[in-house]
Amino acid sequence: MTALTCRFIKLADGLLRGAPVTVCRAGAALQSRAPVIQCIRTHRTNTWWDEHLTEDNPWPRHEWVEGSRRVGLVAVKLGMMPVWTKSGERHVVTMLQVQDCHVVKHLSKEEYEGHTAALIVGGKNVSPFHRPEGYLEVFRNAGVPPKQKLTTFCVSDNAIIKPGTPLYAAHFRPGQYVDVTAKTIGKGFQGVMKRWGFKGQPASHGQTKTHRRPGSLGPGGDPAKVFKGKKMPGRMGNIYDTTHGLKVWRVNTKYNILYVNGSVPGHRNCLVKVRDSILPTRLENNKNPPFPTFFADGDEEIPEDLYDQDMFQFGEPMAE
Amino acid sequence: MLMAARTVCQMLQRRLASSAAAACLSSAELCSHRSALFSKEQVRQRSLYPRTEKIEVTLQGPGLQGTLLVMNRGLSTPYSCTRHLTEWHVKSSALALVDGQPWHMHRPLTHSCDLTLLTFKDDDPQIANQAYWRSCAALLGHVLDRAFKDEFSVELLKLPEVPVTAGAFCCDLVLDSRLDSWTPTEENVRSLTRDALQLIHKDLPWEPLEVSATVALEIFSHSRCKQEEVEERAAQSQNGTVSLYRCGDHVTVSGGPLVARTGLCSQYEVTSVHKVGECEWGVLRRAQGLSLPLNLTVRTSDICTDCERKLIFTMGYSAI
Repeated sequence: MTALTCRFIKLADGLLRGAPVTVCRAGAALQSRAPVIQCIRTHRTNTWWDEHLTEDNPWPRHEWVEGSRRVGLVAVKLGMMPVWTKSGERHVVTMLQVQDCHVVKHLSKEEYEGHTAALIVGGKNVSPFHRPEGYLEVFRNAGVPPKQKLTTFCVSDNAIIKPGTPLYAAHFRPGQYVDVTAKTIGKGFQGVMKRWGFKGQPASHGQTKTHRRPGSLGPGGDPAKVFKGKKMPGRMGNIYDTTHGLKVWRVNTKYNILYVNGSVPGHRNCLVKVRDSILPTRLENNKNPPFPTFFADGDEEIPEDLYDQDMFQFGEPMAE
Repeated sequence: MLMAARTVCQMLQRRLASSAAAACLSSAELCSHRSALFSKEQVRQRSLYPRTEKIEVTLQGPGLQGTLLVMNRGLSTPYSCTRHLTEWHVKSSALALVDGQPWHMHRPLTHSCDLTLLTFKDDDPQIANQAYWRSCAALLGHVLDRAFKDEFSVELLKLPEVPVTAGAFCCDLVLDSRLDSWTPTEENVRSLTRDALQLIHKDLPWEPLEVSATVALEIFSHSRCKQEEVEERAAQSQNGTVSLYRCGDHVTVSGGPLVARTGLCSQYEVTSVHKVGECEWGVLRRAQGLSLPLNLTVRTSDICTDCERKLIFTMGYSAI
């Protein structure tokens, strides 16, 4: 896989005036030259000596604009707990911990065969043993330890991040709305009442051997068939499901935990995919997020806990 | 008169050009030049034993006491002894003790002796751990040598002898004077880690060679500080020889034996690169790293913490 990079090589004044011979081409030492900024587009192949430390960062950090999509995170579902608002209402939140989330690969628009570029993100380190070689190779190229779960996020071109960058919980801020995708708990082969919510039949008053059955399968002689997709008993759960529009109440930056409203598919300690909500009514809450992500080496100092303004923090004076 | 001036000009150009070309061999060419001289010396030393003579090697160690192996003088190495035993011995032996002296696994045996194979899980892994730390520092030197663009020169100084308890291994280097104001960012440190992990994956063996000081000086003829290090080590050693180790293409000097191959390191991370101060060659920088061998991995998310990122130990271990 190759990627195009843009290298900026700036030959500053100080290098050439009076400096010892620094030129590798014969006969060029006597030529005078002015400072020149060259911009070389190179093919960055998978060989490991091509990326040199002195090249300028070819992954610039842009500002957020309306309509840009940024990357999400992979988190571990820890459990649930209650929160109270300042007006006294009680809600429940799910705690999602971001453990060792790294960007693992970048796929450009052409490679992803879609309309947007994509970033593959991995979460939660696992041991490299008991994994096939092809799976480990992706991580080796990015320089990160192998991860348990890999997900793909479609991102806009101004939000691409260099593979190997760690992602933290501070990527989301309280007051934002997120969508959480995870594999639901598997229930096995289930009947039609649990699986599809059918009403069933009464328990008594003469029902013969019919209490939880689906009843009629459709109209009668005209189609004379059962339509495809008829809801029937079958294997339930263990599929990916998304809960949309969950508010982030609190972000703990020390342990990288997100507190999202309500419940989230999946069992405890399962890996979930968290991304900015796509619901049209929640778009104003997601304005001006940390873009393209929250970088730990940046200048901004954020406190250990970030709370939403409506949330009641214990120890505050209460409005009676 | 004009002709004379022109010829003088041309001669000057050619002389300046030739000195320019010699002073600035690209790092790849330098590496291949040193590697070629190393191979030549290796072939010459092997030819000192034209006839195959047999020596008796007695193995010591748990489960192996008294096993007698008949090996070839000047050709067989402790590694070839392990190949007569089991695959576990081949994979896990890091270092050998010949008559109580630490001996590199790929160094030919010259006389009948007692051989003990050291792994990282022995009761007293002190020597093996120290050799492992030295090898990690040598690997860091190799990575840093290749990391920069050809036009910037990198001078690796003497690898400081750091005890394992200090918390990190380090490598001192001096960069080209043009990079004096460059501070490595998190991304640069991560790309160094990625390069190191790729080297580890290639599982290259370290080839040892004991050479006289003159040959070593010839191998490092382009690097003034390497020559000084060679002279210093030759003065300290008993018989005026210097031990060189070659990994892939990169030749380095070391004060003690290194482990058998790069594949023995598993979790390797370059933590930081600090500016220590000024020295006679330029701005002295120290790169630190942390690593664990293959048999002793740790299931933590990130093997380096903030304290390891800080610059540890300044006095006492510096080469200057």
